[in-house]
Amino acid sequence: MIELEMQILSDRREGLLIELGRLVIANGFSLVRQRLAQDIQGAHLTMVVRGPTERQWLLEDAVGSHARVLGFEAATAEPDAALVTAAPLARELAPSIEPAEPFDGDVPPLPPEHADMRQIEQVLPQMALDYPRVFPWLVALEAAVPEEARQASLQLAGRRTGAWVYKRDYALGAKLSLAEALKRIALPALRDLATVEQQERQLHIRNSAMCSPKNQSGCRFFGGYLEGLLGDATDVSAVLVRHLQCRGHGADDCVLEIAA
Amino acid sequence: MHDHQNYNLLLIVLSYAVSVLGSFTALQLAVMIPLTRTRRQRVAAVLTAGAVMGVGAIWSMHFIAMLACDMGVQVTYDVSLTALSALMAFVACSVGLWVAASGTFSGARLVFGGVCMGFGVVSMHYVGMAAMLVAASMSYDMNIVTGSVAIAIIASIAALWLASHMRGAAQLTGSALVMGLAVCGMHYTGMAALHIYDNGGRLPAGYMDGIHGNNLGMTIFGVVVAVLAIVLVVHHLHQRRRAAIAI
Repeated sequence: MIELEMQILSDRREGLLIELGRLVIANGFSLVRQRLAQDIQGAHLTMVVRGPTERQWLLEDAVGSHARVLGFEAATAEPDAALVTAAPLARELAPSIEPAEPFDGDVPPLPPEHADMRQIEQVLPQMALDYPRVFPWLVALEAAVPEEARQASLQLAGRRTGAWVYKRDYALGAKLSLAEALKRIALPALRDLATVEQQERQLHIRNSAMCSPKNQSGCRFFGGYLEGLLGDATDVSAVLVRHLQCRGHGADDCVLEIAA
Repeated sequence: MHDHQNYNLLLIVLSYAVSVLGSFTALQLAVMIPLTRTRRQRVAAVLTAGAVMGVGAIWSMHFIAMLACDMGVQVTYDVSLTALSALMAFVACSVGLWVAASGTFSGARLVFGGVCMGFGVVSMHYVGMAAMLVAASMSYDMNIVTGSVAIAIIASIAALWLASHMRGAAQLTGSALVMGLAVCGMHYTGMAALHIYDNGGRLPAGYMDGIHGNNLGMTIFGVVVAVLAIVLVVHHLHQRRRAAIAI
């Protein structure tokens, strides 16, 4: 048996894991773990697979020649070393991209205890009075907190704001499925703040004023906002918001994907 | 045989308006049921919503529509059956709203709640019709009766779905308009199923003791005023609740 670590570049992420996963299985290997991330170059898929040594070259040939694969590298991964190398690998693979799907050793969610609670508590009541004109207050919050606490603070401020908006305007009625909650709650609520379009489970935020080449606070705020907004609105146990694209990284729109 | 009914158009419009107003108030209360914290609050919310829907929207609408209808014979209403019709509507609507608004929402709950509400509309109507005391014989076309039952149940399910799934203005206004259609649609379809035959002017027992139209009008006026008062109270509670939510 051998364990291989394959790094794949493709033009888009949709369906990539499914197609290559089938290829892996068809060649007698099993998928141990995977990570899929997106940046302006395309979709980066890292797969750790395990299977018979004698089929290694067949698998590499099949993956390398697949129509969706633009770039491909494979290396032998020691079973024990794979866990250790997962995080450095992620950093090397995508130094400036947002995490896309959960993965062992993935970038951890921002812990709320890193947020600057004092500044958040000062800003939130003012923001509530001015709602939905929140951006001046978010800029003020962004400037007031230390850099290491910035993203966690913006995310927590978003979460609190989203939960408040839900209780205020959307709590009356039944809990909805995630798809319905996106359509009937998340979309109208976000449209009070920004120009937003829905594409299935993705929300595309146009011209986010809070996202610039050196910062992605807007995405952090919106991500937290959606978590707070949808947390009690749906019949799922937890709502996950994935940051797929950000204007801060050169994308046209900030794209957030919502999953259960 | 008096097989024709003449209607006062203004009262027909008024009957729809009252059913929509009652439904709006009841559904406003019903969507608050999941937010109640104690058992007592929940029971109070369910019973108030059930009473407003059963008596305010359905019972009042029915008797305004009966006042709108000239069947060519003098009518009085048996007191106990009239009260029973209101009670049945109240109980059926309370059960329907309680089931639909409690726990995690599901298609089964929606259908069960809608069937209960539809049954509330239907039972109120036909028991209310049985309370009619007239110097005539009555019969029903069962095909049209079946249609009236279907209208009540399907429109009630649609109204509950709108109330639970929509948000914003469409949530309560849309569902109240549809519930008003359920109540009025059922009633006027049910009336189309009714055939009245001359029985030679023989008055039924208890005719003189029945409720007359004037008394009925005053009762309905009282119910509508009560519903309007509840609308104001619920609106005030909504505003207070909204203002009390801290960010």
